[in-house]
Amino acid sequence: MKKIIALFITTLFSIGLISQVQAHSRWLLPSHYNMSSEKGLWLMADATASNEVFNVDKALSIDVLRILTPKGKLEKPSSVYKGHRKSVLDYFVADSGTYKLTNNYPASYRTRYKLNGENKRLLASKAELSGKLPKGATDVSTTLSYARIESYVTMNKPSDNFGQEGTMLELLPITHPSDIVEGEQAKFQFVFNGEAIAGVQVEITLEGVRYRNDPQVLSLVSNNKGEVSFTPKSAGRYLLIAEFERKAENQQLADFESGAVFLSFEAQLN
Amino acid sequence: MKIINIALYSLLLLVVLFSSMSSATSSATSSATSSATSSATSSATTAAKIKVDLVLAKQSGEYHSPYVAAWLENDKNQAVRTFLLWRTKAKWLKDIRRWWRKIGRKDQQLVDGITSATRGVGSYPLTFKAKNDEGQPLSQGNYTLFIEVVREKGGRAIVKQPIVLSDISASYVIKATPETGEIHITVTP
Repeated sequence: MKKIIALFITTLFSIGLISQVQAHSRWLLPSHYNMSSEKGLWLMADATASNEVFNVDKALSIDVLRILTPKGKLEKPSSVYKGHRKSVLDYFVADSGTYKLTNNYPASYRTRYKLNGENKRLLASKAELSGKLPKGATDVSTTLSYARIESYVTMNKPSDNFGQEGTMLELLPITHPSDIVEGEQAKFQFVFNGEAIAGVQVEITLEGVRYRNDPQVLSLVSNNKGEVSFTPKSAGRYLLIAEFERKAENQQLADFESGAVFLSFEAQLN
Repeated sequence: MKIINIALYSLLLLVVLFSSMSSATSSATSSATSSATSSATSSATTAAKIKVDLVLAKQSGEYHSPYVAAWLENDKNQAVRTFLLWRTKAKWLKDIRRWWRKIGRKDQQLVDGITSATRGVGSYPLTFKAKNDEGQPLSQGNYTLFIEVVREKGGRAIVKQPIVLSDISASYVIKATPETGEIHITVTP
């Protein structure tokens, strides 16, 4: 019986119904998550792709970075710099309320296939395969992927400025990001195309991985309401990575659809 | 009406006397009498007096006077009254972490209204009426007094003391921290 279950699980993994978090870590790390001021203050943020929370590795392109203001406007950083290890942005936070920083590149179609036993990849949807896919290709499958790289910054009074779009995987704070506190339970909800979704794989890691032997990654799976809850043991900055993949619904261009969310946040001292 | 008031106050006085004579029975006495007189007390719009002897501890090295906030939360952890806010620049208000998160950031007017300048090392006897931020006397019951002390380029301390507003006087002592000396609190009805 155990063997059958194991085989079943292996099959699920191989066809992508269950997957561990696999995406390369990426993040936006703001200089401040919470600010106080009467006249506004400068904010800076780093953008990097790195597997070491929060030490930088490879600069993340931030051409598409936008800031959703409490008034609902989408703004660009006032200046950006791309180095080798990280990109940096400057932005003046003028008003009270919560700002959402996002660095989301357009959704992409990726096709995997095998040729003479080798795994190959193509940046193409199912409609674009003819002519691109070599003869003799087997195990062809196409995935529509979309990743959200985001963070919230609050000046003075928080506002519920979560900018839900209703497409692909999204994280909706139930606990406001500026109300996450050490020793108190925090809750987020995951939705896929606007609907609460169970089975989202979530990993939460406290900064400082370089300086401890055990990375102490908290692994969670969203419940039937799409929710995950956790209690940060200590104050500090955390990276949350969420991934979800399923058979594509109402999609002619892909066999699977896959979403990811990379959220950095802080748990405050209580 | 006056007669009733006088009668109530003399009853109160008796209770206070009795409880100070016999500390062993005071808790039982207080719960019995507070239920009997609490409605009369709160409708009489008298607020208890809270005396806090705040001590800012001596430090070594570079010293910036601490930002300090003191406030009361009710038994549901809701902030009901900020007694004091010692601070300078708004930029560092967020570092009074709990007070900022629960109170300061949500109420600019309150912040402006209670702000006063920072103080250095020393003892500060402070007296407050047990009223809420709107100036109404707080009803009898259980509260927690919080004092948060934060120094730029220095340490932070948050100390708390559960207190009871009732018909009985009570004294409390908060242990010293690296940022605060021993803090004595007296609540008088």
